[in-house]
Amino acid sequence: MTSNPAAEIEYKFSEIIADPVVRERFARVRKYFFLRESTYDMTNRCNIRCDGCYYFTGEKQFAGENRNRDDWQALLETEKERGITFVVLAGAEPSLAVDLCRVCYKVIPLGAIATNGLNHIPRDINYKIHISAWGNDRTSLEIRGAENMLARQMANYEDDPRAVFVYTFTPVNIDQAREVTELLAENSQKITFNMFSAPVGYKGHLRHTGVTLARTREIMSELLEQYPETVIYSPYNIVAHTHGKGLHELYSCSYPRMNPSTAIGLGRSFRQYRTNLEWDRQAACCVPDTDCADCRHYAAGSAVVTARMYRHAATPDTFKAWLDYVDTYLAVWVMGYEKGKNLCERPPQPPKDEN
Amino acid sequence: MENDISKTILRVAGIIINELKLEDVTPETFEPDLDLVDEVGVDSMDLATVALVLRDEYGIRIDEDDYPKLTTVRIIAEYINNKLSNDD
Repeated sequence: MTSNPAAEIEYKFSEIIADPVVRERFARVRKYFFLRESTYDMTNRCNIRCDGCYYFTGEKQFAGENRNRDDWQALLETEKERGITFVVLAGAEPSLAVDLCRVCYKVIPLGAIATNGLNHIPRDINYKIHISAWGNDRTSLEIRGAENMLARQMANYEDDPRAVFVYTFTPVNIDQAREVTELLAENSQKITFNMFSAPVGYKGHLRHTGVTLARTREIMSELLEQYPETVIYSPYNIVAHTHGKGLHELYSCSYPRMNPSTAIGLGRSFRQYRTNLEWDRQAACCVPDTDCADCRHYAAGSAVVTARMYRHAATPDTFKAWLDYVDTYLAVWVMGYEKGKNLCERPPQPPKDEN
Repeated sequence: MENDISKTILRVAGIIINELKLEDVTPETFEPDLDLVDEVGVDSMDLATVALVLRDEYGIRIDEDDYPKLTTVRIIAEYINNKLSNDD
């Protein structure tokens, strides 16, 4: 623990939030500080097989599958009692376990479902629906083995306010994001961006390099500028997720897998349940089996960057950048939250913890 | 010194009450040894907000890695006083 003379503190927090626009945005996002997340693998079945799929890596894919609704109801009620207010229903393909998704929704009504979008999830399950897109239909056929994927996804979730397409940039699909975003814009659908983050031991060709990170940065910036009504993202998201350093190195990941403290925050409350309703602290994060050094995953950033409010309250620009990031995260993950205008168009580099 | 820590405890309690909009409690009645996480329901984002207000008030930085240690009003007050005395 080192001390820091007061003279080194450039701005007071009260000065930063004296700007009415900043104050209003902070007040808006602060209402959601109560969100406490855990994630749940719903089934070990999937209707497609994707190259680099995080679910079918490591041990979790071999967990037994508990399909008993009473057991799920009991689990979610226990989760609610211990303070969980937001659920993320993920692997392998939650649309193959709709009845269990519905059980979760009835107990904890805030959440999101990560799906490939090939099946429609009934509207009465009013969670955000994150539909994965990995390129245009030629690329999807090649690496996911599914034909006409985008057209089917778009048709399943047309005029559905729950739906956000999550475009995962890999080294081989960067420019295809233009084509996908244009189609979604024509259909008044929303898109946000994710970065392929290699699973532990991954030897394939989808791991990003300095060159592909730079190219991704260019395309993201172009699309954010060209389709501001379609793309839910911010300039600071681009900085954070296309940086040469991964999220853990930049922000010090607060998920239990990388954070031994159980005192407060994610290290205390977050759990990642497998299909047998068990969890393992050593593996607990939002994308288990991802190589932490390569993690630029959108879900990880939503928690990890958000948690670093203190260090972002260093200057007006770093705090505006953080507000844009949190505003994006809430618009992507929380039903009813609408993205505001980005406040920081030329964001700084991620601030370090100054202590 | 005893007087200093009492003053800091009252001020920290006041900031927490104000930032967390706690009702039915005043700085004078706030029990300084209550566990802020287990007994008051403070989360990491609440604590970060309180830390920023304390930074303004006392001109000290609070290390993000120190958050888990800041479990009661008394511990926070002692942390602040230690920081201030190290800066002297």
